Amino acid sequence: MKPIDRIVTNNPAVQTAYQERFPLEFITGGYLDVLIKVRDRVHAGAVILTHPLSGSVKPNETPYKSIVLAQGTKLDWDSLQLIENAITVVRGMLKDDIKRMHDPGFDLDFQTIDLSLLSSAINDKE
Amino acid sequence: MRLELGKILINDVQFGQTTKVENGTLYVNADEIKQLVKADERIKSVEVELARPGESIRITPVKDVIEPRVKLEGGGVFPGVISKVDTVGSGKTNVLKGAAVVTTGRIVGFQEGIIDMTGPGADYTPFSQLQSVVLVMDVQDDIAQHDHEYVLRIAGLKVAEYLGEAGREVTPDEVEVFETLPLLDSVAQYPDLPKVAYVQMLQSQGLLHDTYVYGVDAKKIIPTIIYPTEIMDGAIISGNCVSACDKNTTYHHQNNPVVHDLLAQHGKTLNFVGVIITNENVYLADKIRSSDWTAKLAEYISLDGVIISQEGFGNPDTDLIMNTKKIEQKGIKTVIITDEYAGRDGASQSLADADPLANAVVTGGNANEVIELPKLDKIIGDISVVDRIAGGFDGSLRQDGTILVELQTITGATNELGFNKLSAKTE
Repeated sequence: MKPIDRIVTNNPAVQTAYQERFPLEFITGGYLDVLIKVRDRVHAGAVILTHPLSGSVKPNETPYKSIVLAQGTKLDWDSLQLIENAITVVRGMLKDDIKRMHDPGFDLDFQTIDLSLLSSAINDKE
Repeated sequence: MRLELGKILINDVQFGQTTKVENGTLYVNADEIKQLVKADERIKSVEVELARPGESIRITPVKDVIEPRVKLEGGGVFPGVISKVDTVGSGKTNVLKGAAVVTTGRIVGFQEGIIDMTGPGADYTPFSQLQSVVLVMDVQDDIAQHDHEYVLRIAGLKVAEYLGEAGREVTPDEVEVFETLPLLDSVAQYPDLPKVAYVQMLQSQGLLHDTYVYGVDAKKIIPTIIYPTEIMDGAIISGNCVSACDKNTTYHHQNNPVVHDLLAQHGKTLNFVGVIITNENVYLADKIRSSDWTAKLAEYISLDGVIISQEGFGNPDTDLIMNTKKIEQKGIKTVIITDEYAGRDGASQSLADADPLANAVVTGGNANEVIELPKLDKIIGDISVVDRIAGGFDGSLRQDGTILVELQTITGATNELGFNKLSAKTE
């Protein structure tokens, strides 16, 4: 399996947990901004290692997303298709959103879930 | 493997001095339940409430629904979790049919899941039809989310075991027998019928997204073969708390309609040879490995067709399509069962992934559809979360007590095992 090159995330909890262990690109922005940054990286040759859509927590609920990338040598078409599909889905879900409640009290919960999904993937591989 | 399921029909639930079943009524000693639950010191408080079909009650946020059962022969209930890890799926099991344990309690702020016992919401969830013993639980302040989920999961299973014991000495109203033979015997038994298996995908991505097989976290399994009756008999339990409409509760696993209906067709239209269970992980490499194994097992047992059921939405759509594509490429026909997130107008693409080989689909409905639920007299749990749950939005909870939500808020509404009433047909 390809080694981890970097984590792209907008989740402060992931930043705290992993910035010492992996190169980490922190995005100040939303779920979609993370996906768009990952797409830029894919066009520059990166390979996506973790799925760009979250488990069952929907992109219009959680603001947090973290994606693990590896280094590639040329454009990886599978990664490109995956990220383009994900962007389409997320745009579709955000379109319907009627001003969702954003309670800062839940921020930590969403951060924890995103961190947990990421660590359950990463820890397994180490 | 041969299982006798004895159904004790329950049509009422009442509090009583002794927990017992008498003339179709389940009597519940609430103090004993509280004592049982509070034996775990991490649980700060527990309330026991009853909810019956037709009552003006809304339960939220629902974590799990469990059917109370007792094993008379052939292992114990929920092996590897509550009982010893002995293989289940054979022997005798008594079921309190029509009763359920429902667990509720806030694990994270945005948690979800509504069961209405009456009104329009009740039509969308099969659990509105059950005589329910509801556990409202709260844990000590310093419990992290992982432990919180675990504590509530185990409490629900323990109470289901406790209630199931009330059926130990009761003569069942009906006994159903299910049997699956070893593979070669099954093939020899109906040589002319198409060999069909069921591929069940289990949600396994991490915190609040987990499923356990004989106590093993499903993300740590490689796809494997299991007898249909093992699933019917409690081998798989749910630790899945998110996506209320299409998560599989423990009750769903115990009563998996795909398993039930394939067994009903066995020897008639098809030869149901077994179940392949697989997982839904975060790492793409795991998805590739698991779908490779699923397809390889399907080929190895020389199947003619499979039914594949999914759990969840988004990321698992990739597992679904990988499984379907790779199995079809082995020359094996597939039908998938899923649900849709097609937007409130139903016009968006339903799944996050697709492939021309995935050409036979059964849908459990569109989770984004908006419905209005009336005010009900009694809330069990915590209604304040409704604005924040999946499918809720600012203003969901109106001043007059009515709520406007997407269908995805309702427990089991678009279930991807087909344990619901919604679907769609095309010409």
